[in-house]
Amino acid sequence: MKSYRIRAVILRHLYEMRRNPSHLTNMIYWPVMNIVVWGFFTIYLAHRGTSGIVSSLLAAVILWGLFNSFQRDMAVGFLDELWSRNLVNLFASPLSIGEYVTALMSVNLIKASVGMVLEALIAWFCYHYNIFPMALAFVPFIFNLVLFGLAVGVAVTGLIFRYTTKFQVLAWGFAGLLMPLSCVFYPLRSLPRLLAPLAWILPTTHCFEGMRQAIAGGGFSMVHFQWGIGLNVAYFILAALFFRWMYESARSRGLLVKME
Amino acid sequence: MIVSVERLTKTFGTFKAVDDITFSLQPGEIVGLVGPNGAGKTTTIHMMLGLISPSAGTIRIFGKEVEKDREDVLQRLNFTSPYMAFPMRLTVLENLAVYARIYKVPDPLARITGLLERFGIGHLKNKPVSRLSSGENTRVALCKGFLNDPELLLLDEPSAYLDPQAAIQVREILLGLQRLRGTTIVYASHNMREVQRACNRVIFLNHGRIIASGTAIEVTREILRENREVPALEEVFVHIAQRRRHEVISH
Repeated sequence: MKSYRIRAVILRHLYEMRRNPSHLTNMIYWPVMNIVVWGFFTIYLAHRGTSGIVSSLLAAVILWGLFNSFQRDMAVGFLDELWSRNLVNLFASPLSIGEYVTALMSVNLIKASVGMVLEALIAWFCYHYNIFPMALAFVPFIFNLVLFGLAVGVAVTGLIFRYTTKFQVLAWGFAGLLMPLSCVFYPLRSLPRLLAPLAWILPTTHCFEGMRQAIAGGGFSMVHFQWGIGLNVAYFILAALFFRWMYESARSRGLLVKME
Repeated sequence: MIVSVERLTKTFGTFKAVDDITFSLQPGEIVGLVGPNGAGKTTTIHMMLGLISPSAGTIRIFGKEVEKDREDVLQRLNFTSPYMAFPMRLTVLENLAVYARIYKVPDPLARITGLLERFGIGHLKNKPVSRLSSGENTRVALCKGFLNDPELLLLDEPSAYLDPQAAIQVREILLGLQRLRGTTIVYASHNMREVQRACNRVIFLNHGRIIASGTAIEVTREILRENREVPALEEVFVHIAQRRRHEVISH
């Protein structure tokens, strides 16, 4: 892996961000709207005397926003190349697929972090919810969310490689598919018994369970962190293998040069 | 030998796009890869670039197997085709700067400016690609093709969107750069006049197979089976195209 080639792809996406307003919309506008709407909702809840859940709700909004934007922008970054018919230029160059994915991941980490920090600042200044003192307890869970976002992003990108734009809707919709089972806004115990095992095998569930425990003063949950990291390692390996399979299948069928 | 292609085959389902072809390229050669639509020219080039995996056979470039040493091989060659594009919102300079970094071009700005001037589009460097004409885009793609000073340049229809005068101008620039650097060029085209003028050697493909190979006059004589005095690749092309039409009708 050559760092100068990774930096080149990062530069390509930074240029795109500067010139394409939809990237700024995804990075700034939607996270701001998200926290504003949920912020008002928590004010309403607080007035109804349910202030206990306000903190977990706002923290959940901020962390889910991070996961959602990270996995979405991984796939959208790739779709950008596909829409601009730049894929052949890139893959006919010495850039390796590993370097390309690393560059996308780095750009999206920056973008997702900007969105998250912005949401956290708005929550602090407008709704008096300060997530920063909890940041240290959240870091391991944020790490797990990013890792799972990466695994999902890599898998969805693999699908787009193989099936082209037929699967592009997954770039925006996949996180929504996981949301009900990830226990973002409610604890695992609220799920029907049948669904609980499915929720348990999602790293996102462990992140939000761990987050709620930390907010409730229960300290750092090693169990949820370990489950999260263990599942993430497994999913990441599976996603990488799946991506390789899809990529080789696209190469064998000559799809890399026909993608539009 | 810069390129050695041996028994290369590519099948898509039951369709054989490239059928057991073998050829080699010597340093400094300009070789025309010609043939009607669906003859296998572009698929062969894409396999040489590792964009499509071969069903059988081997491709060695600079003595290395493309499938195994992809990065080393691609660092020393380049490719342009009018059918691919650059990110539309980025300027010409930004796009080329990204590729200059990918190829680790020393002093990239000077190199890019020099190439843009050479191809007559220096004034467009700060224009977004979306605002360029097809011909201007082709020239930008050719600039990208020469960015890393390649030892081997694969050109797929380099004059597809150029008017005749611009095509002649671009061909002269290409040949000038080739003479200067000794670049080996593979020139896939339907424009037989251009191939005849630019190439030292021609590989004629039909239905994925090499049906003739040699200088333009050798290919003319072999395919037309006449003892011609001057090369007539355009006539050869029409002859093959008509033969294909008869084959389709008789099937």
